[in-house]
Amino acid sequence: MAKIRDLSINICGVKFPNPFLLSSSPVSNTAEMVARAFDKGWGGVAYKTIAHDRTRIIHPSPRMAPFNYENKSLVALQNVEQTSDRPMKDNWADIRWLKKHYPKQVLIVSIMGFSLDEWIDLARMGEDNGADMLELNFSCPHMTVEGAGMKVGQAMELIEKFTSAVKKTVNIPVIAKLTSNVTDITIPALYAQKGGADAITAINTVRALTEIGLDDFVPKPNIHGKGAMSGMSGPAIKPIGLKCVTELAQCDGLKIPIIGCGGAETWVDIAEYLMCGAAAIQVTTGIIHYGQRIVEDMAEGLSDWMDAKKFNNLQEIVGKSLVKTVGTDAFDLSRQGIAQFDLDKCIGCGQCYIVCQDAGGQGLGWDSEKRRPVPDDKQCLSCMICGMVCPVDAMVSYKYKPGKQEILPPVMG
Amino acid sequence: MKTKHRISDHLQNATDMAQGLSLTQAMNEAARCHLCHDAPCSQSCPAGTDPATFIRKLRLRNIKGAIRTVKGNNVLSGICALVCPTEQLCQKGCVAAGMDKAIDIGGIQRFLVEHGWEMKFNPLEKEEKKSGKLAVIGSGPAGLSCAAEVAMAGHDVTIFESMEKAGGVLRYGVPSFRLHGDFLDRELKDLKELGIKFNCGKTITRAGAEGLLKKGYNAVFFAPGTWKTVELNLPGIDLKNVCNARDFLAEMRSADQTKIAQMVKGKNVAVYGGGSVAMDVATTAKSLGANKVYIIYRRSMKEMPAARHDLDMALANYVIFRPMSIVTELMGEKGKLISLKGIETDWKKPGETSSANLVPVEGTEFNLKVDVFVTALGYQAEPASKEICAGVSFSKKGLVETRNDGVTTANPLIFAGGDIVRGPALVVEAVADGKKAGQKIIELFQKEHPGKKVAKRGTR
Repeated sequence: MAKIRDLSINICGVKFPNPFLLSSSPVSNTAEMVARAFDKGWGGVAYKTIAHDRTRIIHPSPRMAPFNYENKSLVALQNVEQTSDRPMKDNWADIRWLKKHYPKQVLIVSIMGFSLDEWIDLARMGEDNGADMLELNFSCPHMTVEGAGMKVGQAMELIEKFTSAVKKTVNIPVIAKLTSNVTDITIPALYAQKGGADAITAINTVRALTEIGLDDFVPKPNIHGKGAMSGMSGPAIKPIGLKCVTELAQCDGLKIPIIGCGGAETWVDIAEYLMCGAAAIQVTTGIIHYGQRIVEDMAEGLSDWMDAKKFNNLQEIVGKSLVKTVGTDAFDLSRQGIAQFDLDKCIGCGQCYIVCQDAGGQGLGWDSEKRRPVPDDKQCLSCMICGMVCPVDAMVSYKYKPGKQEILPPVMG
Repeated sequence: MKTKHRISDHLQNATDMAQGLSLTQAMNEAARCHLCHDAPCSQSCPAGTDPATFIRKLRLRNIKGAIRTVKGNNVLSGICALVCPTEQLCQKGCVAAGMDKAIDIGGIQRFLVEHGWEMKFNPLEKEEKKSGKLAVIGSGPAGLSCAAEVAMAGHDVTIFESMEKAGGVLRYGVPSFRLHGDFLDRELKDLKELGIKFNCGKTITRAGAEGLLKKGYNAVFFAPGTWKTVELNLPGIDLKNVCNARDFLAEMRSADQTKIAQMVKGKNVAVYGGGSVAMDVATTAKSLGANKVYIIYRRSMKEMPAARHDLDMALANYVIFRPMSIVTELMGEKGKLISLKGIETDWKKPGETSSANLVPVEGTEFNLKVDVFVTALGYQAEPASKEICAGVSFSKKGLVETRNDGVTTANPLIFAGGDIVRGPALVVEAVADGKKAGQKIIELFQKEHPGKKVAKRGTR
């Protein structure tokens, strides 16, 4: 049996048993679901966003569509999921029950008001019913109500106003969940901080259109002949999530902790979010794809990696990559290299040759008899696309070549 | 058509064909493909079916394009997908084998053809009508492919077939579990849509090829196949329940199979031979409820000419293999077979694996209690073929002698292809012959009936 090390971390004075959280979404819709997730090892939950009963929520049917790539399904997920459609009293009862039965797991209650009164009301109810923290949903990308969801995340004074109002209402820490659908995510974050936010969650789903029906011309999910621009989640948005978390962590004026969110499925994704500066990571699409059980592999994998890298605790990982994330002007351009081939491993598909010809520096020839690429180091741009299309592990590797000069292509005519 | 999802090669009955890949399965398989530069698969199909192109097209979701490639290059690509020994051809040099295993090219090919049928998309197109008239003798793979090639160029094509239904070896020489009659009929339908006329159930022995030319056909393609079985001169060969593979398999394709089922059910059957036909007979016998079924073969398992998949089918159906053995005598009682005598063989000179290098090993004589004995020792040209095609030179073996191109004969208006030229060969090779002869015939017609210039059909 794997011995899992202590993965706990402190955020805003709240102790998280581990950094693996369910995000506010269908996976945190009821106490029964969340309880099962806690039993499997999840360290906390951002309970599915509760809006005020004044607005009746009815979900579109169907509400999600997969974005597939070749034979790989769910590279991303498109959804028009709404806030919780359950009556408030049911959610509050579930939240009380969860806190009572799972006192060690962190219970973050996500709320969304459609007016200042509602924000205040929901915040108070959240605290009264046992939330450890509140998360303010300023980021749902398919809200059409002005002054709600992402529309708040794009209106700086509203972020500050609502955060400040909530902060004045409750004593528990308050997190602002921000959208990536802005030019620079640090600006809304600074407004949230100004309003008193204790932490930032980034990001929510990315506003997108993943697929459009070729027979009916309707964007998916196709809701009876109509589609909408809406939120995209899953592995495809992880790079955007890492970017946003890094920008927040590198922002000088921002002093509050960050919770990462977006496309994490494995311990590797978790490690990356931690290195970019997230102190905990929320997950939904990974669970939609594989179920709650993925947390077991997150914990075991992260624990082994920490052993291998001799980290004493999770906090040591947080922000580890920040000093190495620089502007492109900081690169040492005097160091050039080549793609190096271990031809003993080659199976002879020739994809490297095709892409080098068509998209690289024409630095590979082709021996059609032996079915092997013939590298020409002089012509190699070291762009490494040959290695990216190579199906064999570690056949193509980058090699720094001292003294190698930058190559310019020949001119025709 | 009766197709069933079959998780193994074990047959539940003698006629059901296994289900093909679904769209998802085909896409999964295409996703494993390395989309090679200068792809080995496309270099090794005799008929030029070009898997590398149709797999790439499928992978890039150009499904209609993939069907256009597969059917355009090989009008019998559905059938070839089922009967080709792919491991000896397209899949032989598959680069993916260097990672795990070769791509199931046959599976993808069959999917594309069936998907085209499902979508009602027949990519075979006919050019404007032209004046050439072609007679095709024989409706096997060579005849069909030649007929299609010439018909697509706009000429008039009539196929003459002596059997009741079209297909030749595809209908009467291959068991249903490999190529179901419905599947064959469906692929034939694509050809019929080109306006090819089928004249079945009539022999043309008397008039012959030259008679057809006199009747107004401008050229003849001669592809009767080779149907004479190699017979054994063995004591007891005339006993009841001794037959050859051709008759056995043809009987399985007849409307009433009760007689053959009765002969085999619960009985012990020995099949003599190591080719795909022997495997087909053995697997069929087993699926008809035979008790023990033996394959007796002179040389070792390694030398068996059977396609890997047909051998695997026989193994999966618990056929008992007796390689390195010959049959010496068939024993009977009241005119009926009751057992056989055999002896094991070994190599005279070690390391040389020709049949001529075999010797019986004294003291290894054996008896097998068998009720049915089926010879599957190959096919030869029918002597009658010569009569039909006077004016064309034949070899001693009774095969048509052609020029270097493999299809042009001594008579410039008569072309030939398939087994009657090659001797027993693969379906896909017959398709290749038909395609090539078709192109020659189109050129001939173009010369004799110059009109609008005809673009030569290349690989798609």
